[in-house]
Amino acid sequence: MKAQRDQFLESLFHEAERDESITLITVDMGAPALDLWRKHLPKQVISAGISEQNAINVAAGMSASGRNPYVYFMACWAARCLEQIRYSCAMAGNEITILGNGVGLGYAPAGPAHEPTDDLMYLLSIEGIQVISPSSNEMTRYLVSETLSSRKLRYIRLERSIPEEVDSIAGNSFAKERSLFPRTLKFTKSSGNMNVAIITSGYLLGRAFKVAQVLEKNSFGVVVVDIPLLPIPPKTLAKILGAPDIVLVLEEQYSPGGFYYQVLHALNLIPFKGKIVEVGLDSAYIFDNGVRDDLLDRFGLSIENIVSKVL
Amino acid sequence: MSTVDSLEEISKYVRREVIKFKTASGHGHLASTLSVVDILVALYFGTPRYFNPQNDILVFGKAHGGPAIYPILSRLGFIDESELSKYCLPNGILRLHPDQSIPGCDFVGGSLGNALGYAAGRAFSERDRQFVVILGDAELYEGSIWEALLFISHNKLNNLLMIVDRNGLGTIGFTEELLALEPINQKFSTFGISAITVDGHNFRDLTSAYSSSRSQPTCIIANTIKARGVSFMEGKPEYHTKYPTDSNTVEMMLKGLE
Repeated sequence: MKAQRDQFLESLFHEAERDESITLITVDMGAPALDLWRKHLPKQVISAGISEQNAINVAAGMSASGRNPYVYFMACWAARCLEQIRYSCAMAGNEITILGNGVGLGYAPAGPAHEPTDDLMYLLSIEGIQVISPSSNEMTRYLVSETLSSRKLRYIRLERSIPEEVDSIAGNSFAKERSLFPRTLKFTKSSGNMNVAIITSGYLLGRAFKVAQVLEKNSFGVVVVDIPLLPIPPKTLAKILGAPDIVLVLEEQYSPGGFYYQVLHALNLIPFKGKIVEVGLDSAYIFDNGVRDDLLDRFGLSIENIVSKVL
Repeated sequence: MSTVDSLEEISKYVRREVIKFKTASGHGHLASTLSVVDILVALYFGTPRYFNPQNDILVFGKAHGGPAIYPILSRLGFIDESELSKYCLPNGILRLHPDQSIPGCDFVGGSLGNALGYAAGRAFSERDRQFVVILGDAELYEGSIWEALLFISHNKLNNLLMIVDRNGLGTIGFTEELLALEPINQKFSTFGISAITVDGHNFRDLTSAYSSSRSQPTCIIANTIKARGVSFMEGKPEYHTKYPTDSNTVEMMLKGLE
C-alpha cells in the first residue's frame, strides 16, 4: 500500500504540473514522490536544507507573494518551528499547508525525539489552524483538492503506515461521502448492554475496530467514529453520535490538552449526557525499544486496557 | 531631488515626531527607533532613488524600532498626519510594532529573526521587486537569521537588501560584552553575502551603498548610535526601554532637533 506521504505528494505533483504557483518546500527529506518532483518540476520544489524555521518563514513569504506553498517535513519537527507557524503564518495571515510525516509512534523505535505524541496540543493552540489526520489514501488524495480549493493554514498529519483494514473501511466510507467531518465507520446495535461511541482517528482506528469486536461480544452497541478534522465541527459530531451511554476517546497522544480536550470541547457545545472515557499514552516520551504496536500495547493502548475502561 | 541638507531636515522632522508620540504615550523603544531614522530617510528620500515605496517592500526585523517609519509614511501620504498623535491609543492605527494593517507596512512585527526568512520567500517569488529588511544587530543572535542567509545566498536573491542597524547595543548592554558579534562583516561574507559597512548617519554613505550595483545578495552594516539625536541618551544601555516623558525634558529634547 502506498504511503500517505507519497499519495499526497504524487497527487499534488499532477496538480503542480498545471499550476506553477504550487511550490513544495522540503528540508532535506527523501521520498519516491519527491524524486518525481525533483526530476520533472525542479523549479517548484525548493530545498531549504534542514531548517524548519526558515522553511516556514519562506513559505509564509511565498504565500504573501501569491504562491501556494506546501512544506514537507517529519511530523516531530513541527514543534521546532511552532513560533514561525504561529507568528509568520497565523498572526500574519499567510496561509500555507504543512505536511508532517510519521505521526504518533509511527517512527518507533526511533525514540521520543522522532515520535510526536503531543503535537495536537501545541498545534491546536494556534488560532485558525486546521489539523487533519487522514485515515485512508482516498482521503489523502482528496486533501490535495481541498487545500487547492480553499486556502487556509493547515497541518496535515500523515501516517507512515496504516492498517490495510483501516485504509479499506475508511476509504470506502470516504468515497461515498467526500467530507472531512466526523464519520461513522462501523455501527452495531446493542443486544442488551449499553451503547458506546469510540472516537479516534488514523492508525488507532485499527485498535478501535478490535475493541468494538470485544464490546459487541459483550452485547454492547458500538459506533466507531473517525475524526479527521480538528477542531471538531460539533454539530456534525452530534448528528452521528446519537445518544451513547459512553464516549470512549482513543488517542495516540499524551492526554493533557490533546485530542481528548478537542472532544470534550465539542461535546460541551452539544446536548450530551453520557460518560466520557479517555485512553491515551501513559507518557509523552517513550524511550523503550519496540515497534509501534509493541509500544501502544505497553503504554496504555492495548486492546485489553482499552476494553477494561468500559467493561 | 533631495540634497543632503534636505535629508537632514527630514531626519530632524522624523526624530521630532517620534519623540513627540513616544513621550506622549510612554510606550515602546525610543532609543532603538532613533538609531534607525537616517537609514530610513536615506532609503525613502535619498537619491539616486533605490527604493520605490509605491512598489517595493520594506520589512522590519527589529520592529521595536519600526515606529521611525510612521512620520515618513505620513509625509508620503500613506497615513494621515493626525495618526501620529494617536500612536498606541485605542482610536489610532499606529502600533508599537508596525504590522500589515498599517498602510505602507508589511508582515507583522515583534518576533525577532523571522522577517528575513519571510522576505526571502517573497524575494524568491517576486524577482522584479526590491525587498529591504531592517535587522537589529542583536537580532543576529537568532539562529533563524543564519538559516535564512543560507537560503538567500544559495538562491542568489539579489533583489533582497539587508540593512543591519549596528548600534552596538542589545536590551541590557553592549553586544560585544553580551555575546560578541564581530566581525559581522566577515560572518556575512562567509555566507556568500556582500557586506558593506557604512556610517549609518551619513546620507552620502547610505545612498551610495543603496544604489551600488549588486551581483550578489547584499547586507549593509550601518554603524549607528542608539538614541541618536538625544545627546544625553546616546549610546547608553539604560535607555533601551526607558526615556523621559516630563514636559521640560521633552521640550529640551525637541529643541535639540530644531
